[in-house]
Amino acid sequence: MHQSSLTRFLLVLTILLLPHWASAETWYVKKSSTKLQAKASARSEVLSKLQKGTAVKVKKKAGKFFQVSTGGKTGWVFRFKLSKKAPAGGQADGDVLATLGGEQKMNARESASGSSIRGLSPISEQHARKKGATDESIQAVKNMETFKVRPEELDRFLEEGKLGEYSQ
Amino acid sequence: MRKNNLKIFSFSFFCLGVFGLFVWAEPSYAFNLDGFLKEVEKSSQPQAQPKKEELDIKVQEPPQQQSSDGGGMIGLGQSLGIFDKKTSNILKQSVNTLQALQPIAYKEEKAIGGRLAVEVFSRYGGNYDDPELLRYINLVGQAVADVSNRPDIDYHFAILNTEHPNAFATPGGYVFVSIGLLKMIENEAQLAGVLAHEVAHISQKHALQTLERSRSLQGVSSLTLAVMDKNPGMFDKLIDEVSNVLFTKGLDKNLEFEADRYGREFAYRMGYYPGGLQNFINKLGKSKAGGKSIFMSTHPSATARYSILKKSWSRYQKASVYPVLEKRLLSALKRPNKS
Repeated sequence: MHQSSLTRFLLVLTILLLPHWASAETWYVKKSSTKLQAKASARSEVLSKLQKGTAVKVKKKAGKFFQVSTGGKTGWVFRFKLSKKAPAGGQADGDVLATLGGEQKMNARESASGSSIRGLSPISEQHARKKGATDESIQAVKNMETFKVRPEELDRFLEEGKLGEYSQ
Repeated sequence: MRKNNLKIFSFSFFCLGVFGLFVWAEPSYAFNLDGFLKEVEKSSQPQAQPKKEELDIKVQEPPQQQSSDGGGMIGLGQSLGIFDKKTSNILKQSVNTLQALQPIAYKEEKAIGGRLAVEVFSRYGGNYDDPELLRYINLVGQAVADVSNRPDIDYHFAILNTEHPNAFATPGGYVFVSIGLLKMIENEAQLAGVLAHEVAHISQKHALQTLERSRSLQGVSSLTLAVMDKNPGMFDKLIDEVSNVLFTKGLDKNLEFEADRYGREFAYRMGYYPGGLQNFINKLGKSKAGGKSIFMSTHPSATARYSILKKSWSRYQKASVYPVLEKRLLSALKRPNKS
């Protein structure tokens, strides 16, 4: 009888602690300028903008938002801006499709230089010219590279379409 | 007995040589070995594990194993009678494979992708000039790229001036969709699905995976801009090979199925109705124009793609109510609203 009570107590304790253990997950920010917001809503106050690779502790999951804490701040992040990167040499990302194959994990060095690589490479341009590509085709690629949408424009676009952070 | 002693001596000498080679080749070689082990994993599990990227990797030169006259330690092994010619060739091939496996870094990826992007404009009608529509395509494309598995690179979207319904992606972030395809699209969810399929090819590095196994890169331990610059012949072959895969032969069908699955997933993450891609594939498969589409001819059949996507639909059941945004697409394309 005494033993049965103890078992029950341990079971209850485990159930109570489970959410706590689950909330201790570490996730990582996938792209710089990811918003940390006061509430689980795209329209709530932006507490700070997180840099790519920042580790966050996930405390709660609510729909498309995760409540996270990082650098002494607690706030909400749109869940698909985060990635559950495994420890070095570990398993797949927090992406459900990873098990279906092909998950590519983010590489910190890639982005650092990724954002600084601009324009058609001279090698590409020389080669294209050598092979008889027209000025129009080369210029078209250069125009393509310089065309940008501003973050606030994209944000408005998502809000209008009730997409991303604004989706229901 | 004497002969045996000679063989033992020769073999020890060979092993010492191989050990020396490893020490001489130092860290970059160790990295290649890691790459090789991953490649072995890859072969048993085709769409494999995450890759490491190196942005500042040196060329391994001059690799003794590259010599075609049986030089290097393996050649020595052959001449000493330790290996027969066949074994020696297998070993040489393995060493070459080891050297070809260093993942291609982003700046090189972008150089290859940029060159192929020029090729896309040259082959498929050039640029379609409509800045307003281009902005719309970029907004939809950027939205799905932001929730992809590789949101941290720049993506560029363009419209091709051809009536054939085409869509392409070249490495490094270049995505193309033809005006002919846009005319067939019924709503923004379908467009998001198509663009996300192309983004998935880039985020999963499908063309690069194919390239890294390419024969034109045999004997090259890492493909840097300097190597490309010094070997224009190799760069020629490489571009020809990827062009052939992207524009004629098509990627491996499993990579296409994977791009479909990820494409749908990215559209779903962004909050679009996730059935957009499969509905468009179905429509294109049934249309006459679909037969002239590279988007179809270089891909597995529409029926196969549609049925594979349908099989794994259960995850998206609850997202059936997500918006398709038909009006917004019609307005961007300046088409009359049906309602």
